[in-house]
Amino acid sequence: MPRLGYSYAFLDPGAKRELRRSLLKAVALPGYQVAYASREMPIARGWGTGGLQVTLALVGPEDVVKVMDQGDDASVNAANLRRFIARMAGVKTSTDTAQATLIQSRHRIPEEILGPEQILVLQVPYPEPLARLEPSFAKARELHADAEYGLVWLSLYEDLVRYRTATHGADYPVLVNGRYLMAPSPIPRWDNPKLHRAQHLTLFSAGREKRLYAVPPFTEVRPVEFEDVPFEVEDQRGWADWQTGVRHKFMTELPLPDGGSRHELSDRDYARKRAAHLPTQPTYFDEEGGFYQPGYLAPRTPPERLERLLQGEP
Amino acid sequence: MAYVAARGGEEAIQQAEALYRRLLGPLDAGLVRRLEQALPYLLDRLMGEGSLYAPELAALALAQTGGDLYEAVLLLRAYRTTLPRLGYAEPLEPEALLTVRRISAAFKDIPGGQVLGPTLDYSHRLLHFEPQEAPPARTGAEAQASLHLPFVADWHRQNGLLAPRPPDPTPGPEIPDLTREPLLFPAPRAQRLQALSRADTGGVLALGYANMRGYGAIHPTVNEVRLAYAEVRLRHPVTGAVFSAGRVRYSQAEVLTKFRPGPGGKPALELGFAATLGWNEVKLIAAAMLDAAMDQGEPHPAHTEEFVLSHTEPVEAGGFCIHYKLPHYVTFLSNLLAHQGQPEEVEDA
Repeated sequence: MPRLGYSYAFLDPGAKRELRRSLLKAVALPGYQVAYASREMPIARGWGTGGLQVTLALVGPEDVVKVMDQGDDASVNAANLRRFIARMAGVKTSTDTAQATLIQSRHRIPEEILGPEQILVLQVPYPEPLARLEPSFAKARELHADAEYGLVWLSLYEDLVRYRTATHGADYPVLVNGRYLMAPSPIPRWDNPKLHRAQHLTLFSAGREKRLYAVPPFTEVRPVEFEDVPFEVEDQRGWADWQTGVRHKFMTELPLPDGGSRHELSDRDYARKRAAHLPTQPTYFDEEGGFYQPGYLAPRTPPERLERLLQGEP
Repeated sequence: MAYVAARGGEEAIQQAEALYRRLLGPLDAGLVRRLEQALPYLLDRLMGEGSLYAPELAALALAQTGGDLYEAVLLLRAYRTTLPRLGYAEPLEPEALLTVRRISAAFKDIPGGQVLGPTLDYSHRLLHFEPQEAPPARTGAEAQASLHLPFVADWHRQNGLLAPRPPDPTPGPEIPDLTREPLLFPAPRAQRLQALSRADTGGVLALGYANMRGYGAIHPTVNEVRLAYAEVRLRHPVTGAVFSAGRVRYSQAEVLTKFRPGPGGKPALELGFAATLGWNEVKLIAAAMLDAAMDQGEPHPAHTEEFVLSHTEPVEAGGFCIHYKLPHYVTFLSNLLAHQGQPEEVEDA
């Protein structure tokens, strides 16, 4: 039963109405940051309050909610958010990606392919992808309005010249539907391709910064990349999960006392199923590391080729 | 302690909270009442930043958090946001203020006089090692307080000394509600003043102090600092009659900046203003100066509206700062791998 004394799912009807209207606008304008009031929540600001508001605006009694943090459902903050949602909305929860109808996540997209009936809510710390280059939100809004993203490509080019690699790690910016530059939240680059023409709806919400945005199903999502130097995901090709031996899924590095390290699957519920030999859903990356949409990820650029390109040779 | 130990779900959360509560000791109505009586200025700061005037709840928040101000403000805010907005109070006119302290640094004397009121300003900051008796109940000074004193800025206005305000970038007939609409920049001034009103005292002081020390200095003069009890006057929805719903502790500050061309080309002063629930002089003087600084054509980057208001929001600044305690191993690894094998900057060929 939901908790009495507060509105269903904590938010009062006015707050819910505003959130739902903002979400509809976000879905209608893929990648566009919609400003919303962003109410204070009874958990710390910057700890997922944006994602939480979206989850609470959408959740209904029939939902099954999953919450994970860095891929792990057992992380304390994920556990805390999950018990708050369950307490306020009286919903079932699950750690199983396949069972969940509504997934709130921080910094990861599950490895198993999400279906059209599922909604993914990603918590966002920095909604403005231009903030690194233009700290004023007011000016950044103008750049978005003009689709003036030259700064971003320039910054990528400078990276290649200086470091011979794109130095942007997680939260690698993407262009949505050929129009808006978007911060995909600090997911690893490994997760960026999963947004492209996904069957599911992804909602992004930054509580502190009061912005929400969306990638509707089957929307073009392209990383910022050059035609001749394509985007690359993290290179973990040599890594295998120390418990199951699974490869070609996003791994976490665990330092060992002897100075070495071992690796484990970041998506802990997927790891649980693999370890127990339970059935799993198809994954975005297959057992050989091939992405499920062939051709979307181009082969990596060998260093010699990059060097030649930077010297102006074809 | 390893990262893995910072997991474990609900059981760990409950145990950690229980440990915190055990260290604080029992919480009862008596403690809440004593805090409310003994610490009015702390409660004022809390209520101002929480933008909820409720001394009992502020005292409860203080007791419940052991005096952790960030947590206490968050408790009040998270409760406040669930309450319905029932109406707008009437504007505060001098006659609705029972002023207990009102001083001006701009003039030796002002209409209504300088009222020192309750203050430690000129006290010796010595610890009282002996128990202190409460002073006699009623003094002559107290009898003089609670006056309806005019605003000093009104005198400047009458004399054509105040420059007209720059046009509001986003004018509108209604008062926008910062707690129900997002703050966008440039912001209507009403929203700016609301944001300053509930801004973090320390944050406003730091940025205001930077301004005073010379980063975009506007050389202000304190025109008025006022502590008062304000009547919250509401218009009855049926009869239309204005009635008082109660009194709140209220404070406001006016600062004057340098002369600029005013009405009729005469030199005129610009006014910075700030007000808040509760009595919090240091915040208001700094906030009023920042209000004036934001109006400058080319403010120092640290005194633009967007910079000041984005970074002095206590719940957001504090919450985001402590969020760095959350695990970040996925992003950290992703960044690590982005630089792997390329640790040094490539020399220019």
